[in-house]
Amino acid sequence: MSITQAGAAVSLETDDGGSAATGAIITRYRKGRTSHARRRARMAGLLFAAPGLLIYGVVVLWPLVQSLQYSFYEWDGITAAVWVGFDNYLSFFTDPVLRSTLGNVLVLIVFFAVLPIALGLLSAALITAGKRPGMAIYRWIFFLPQVLTSVVIALLFKRMYAPEGPINEALRAVGLDALTKNWLGDFTWALPAVGLIGTWVTFGFCMVLFIAGASSIAPELYEAARMDGAGPVREFFAVTLPGLRGQIAVALTLTITAALRAFDLIWITTRGGPGTSTLTPAVALYKAAFVNPDVGQAAAIGVVMAILCLVIAVVITRVSEKE
Amino acid sequence: MSDDVAAAGDVTLKLSDFWSAAEEEWIVSLIDQFETKYPNVTIERTREDWGQLTSTLNLQMQDAGGPDIATANNGWSSLGTLAKGNLVLNLDAYAELYGWNETVPTTIARQNKFTTDFKTIGEGSWFGTPQARASLIGVYYNADLLDQLGIDVPETLDELETAAAAVKAAGEVPFSYSGLDGNTAALLGLQAIYGTEGDINDFVYGDPDVTAADTGLTDAATTLQEWSTKGWLTPNFEGIDYQTSLADYLDGKGVFRFDYTGSLGLSGDQLNQFGYIQLPQAAGDTTVGVGAAPGAMVISAKYEHPDVAAAFLDFLMSEEASQTAADLGLVPALHEVETPDVRSQQGEAAATATLDADDGYVPYFDWASPTMLDVLSQNTQLLLAGRTTPADFSTAVDADRDAFLAG
Repeated sequence: MSITQAGAAVSLETDDGGSAATGAIITRYRKGRTSHARRRARMAGLLFAAPGLLIYGVVVLWPLVQSLQYSFYEWDGITAAVWVGFDNYLSFFTDPVLRSTLGNVLVLIVFFAVLPIALGLLSAALITAGKRPGMAIYRWIFFLPQVLTSVVIALLFKRMYAPEGPINEALRAVGLDALTKNWLGDFTWALPAVGLIGTWVTFGFCMVLFIAGASSIAPELYEAARMDGAGPVREFFAVTLPGLRGQIAVALTLTITAALRAFDLIWITTRGGPGTSTLTPAVALYKAAFVNPDVGQAAAIGVVMAILCLVIAVVITRVSEKE
Repeated sequence: MSDDVAAAGDVTLKLSDFWSAAEEEWIVSLIDQFETKYPNVTIERTREDWGQLTSTLNLQMQDAGGPDIATANNGWSSLGTLAKGNLVLNLDAYAELYGWNETVPTTIARQNKFTTDFKTIGEGSWFGTPQARASLIGVYYNADLLDQLGIDVPETLDELETAAAAVKAAGEVPFSYSGLDGNTAALLGLQAIYGTEGDINDFVYGDPDVTAADTGLTDAATTLQEWSTKGWLTPNFEGIDYQTSLADYLDGKGVFRFDYTGSLGLSGDQLNQFGYIQLPQAAGDTTVGVGAAPGAMVISAKYEHPDVAAAFLDFLMSEEASQTAADLGLVPALHEVETPDVRSQQGEAAATATLDADDGYVPYFDWASPTMLDVLSQNTQLLLAGRTTPADFSTAVDADRDAFLAG
């Protein structure tokens, strides 16, 4: 989606002459021209954007409309679909299993979004506070999970969480046998265990984002804060945190939607079990669409998730832009 | 309609199936044998993995360029939907022509039948065919370990429990078991020992008068839970996935293991190290076992040479097909054939011979509804964690099936 949009944006820009600077010059030059020419230029721009828009329409918009349509039917993918109105949506609230997936997602949001952002802020504050040699390596190590395939990550953690895996072995080695668990097979611990994988994955991303953001905060602000007698903690809350508002908004949007869409990590580690304790809407959607052909229900889950993602993105953007 | 394949002229037949490893060798060998018999027929085979084929077959069969013959999954979600959508042929005329109603045990034949109003599964017209081999659930045992412990191979459920107690007393793991990704083999294996062939079949095929408790499910859940409480299952099975527990079992950890035939992938010395038993019913002396052909063969309604396709499906049920299966280490069914003299295969072949004779096959219980497999896996996990009771388990199963029947 973003790629197509970028493509369209580039075509428009090229038409106007590439960089902003040349664009400005050309605009000034064009001022003398007729509105007819301007309209022609706009038409040409649309023409350049057309392929991108077309692909976007066919690949993104049309399936979106179709999903919306499917969600009002009971349909197995082959035989005649039956109109059921809002039934598929209602089952989100009436079906105890489907309803529980929303609760599970809330827990996942803590692990995918809240925890990594808190940790990311803390480590960004520590790293920017004092420059030490080898920082680039740390940053690289923490960022590593972002470039690993999620399947690899899930398999690695499945191994680590195994009854005889490194985590339990480590606990036993220090005499904490009482804390050893079947992490992924335990009704209480499976969801946090899966959630922590998400924390590990998104933490590095948040940290790098915040370090980059912090480096663009004017050093004068820190100087001023210090002159006013602020300690490191005060400095963080008065200067760093407000300065990172934009980055935090981006991180929140991306990590919360990642929690809402969580599928691969869960499918590989627990398949939604034990019981339904780690079932997420995305896993339920997959099962409805491909395992038990119930396309309407799957589409309804998809539409609800899409709306939730959109609402969250809008709310976060609004809040972060408010002064 | 004719069984004269040679007269059909040059025919190309596109086959899609989900068989790999030894099963793939089996189908390739049978294609060769069929093409040798009928040089005018060319069979083009495409292999897809099981998940991929079952999740896309409904779409593939709607496409003009789709397969002419394919392996569908039994039950409503795949075979039933294809039949209902008029995408696959009603094979009744061919069943008549080739005498399938006589040669195939009714408990296997039912697995491929639907009424033509598509309200009922398990009776009516043929829409798919089995093969001359089967996939069963039964008990594997590690003969070397039993030997070392001085325990005889059990022949009944009581003997199995006595043996398990002795194994536990000797400090070994009685039952290899995994719970992380949901395990239904042990539960369904036990169910077939408690429930009758009639009740289990009727429940799966949607008879509203039969409840899950009638099918032996409550008893099976009770027994499995007891085994877990007694510490007879692999320690920490909750956190162990299927593949790990299977590898450990082949490595000598655990004496018994409920599993699907073919899943162990035995080879070399292992073929004699491991044995297979199909336990008789807890009450009575007949044998009931979860078993089905490893796929339902369907013919596309769009195919121009259904006679040739039907002849090939019949060939997959022939004695040659059964013998080829046995030769490749698979489980032969429908015909008694010569089986290699190794422990595991002798046990498996004896099982299908008994089930053929007793007409004692029961379908995979999860065919009862599209969501049944999830319900079984989730409730087994709840049961063994002490979060549900055997009776509530059965109630949950009834609720799921009844909701499906109500549509």
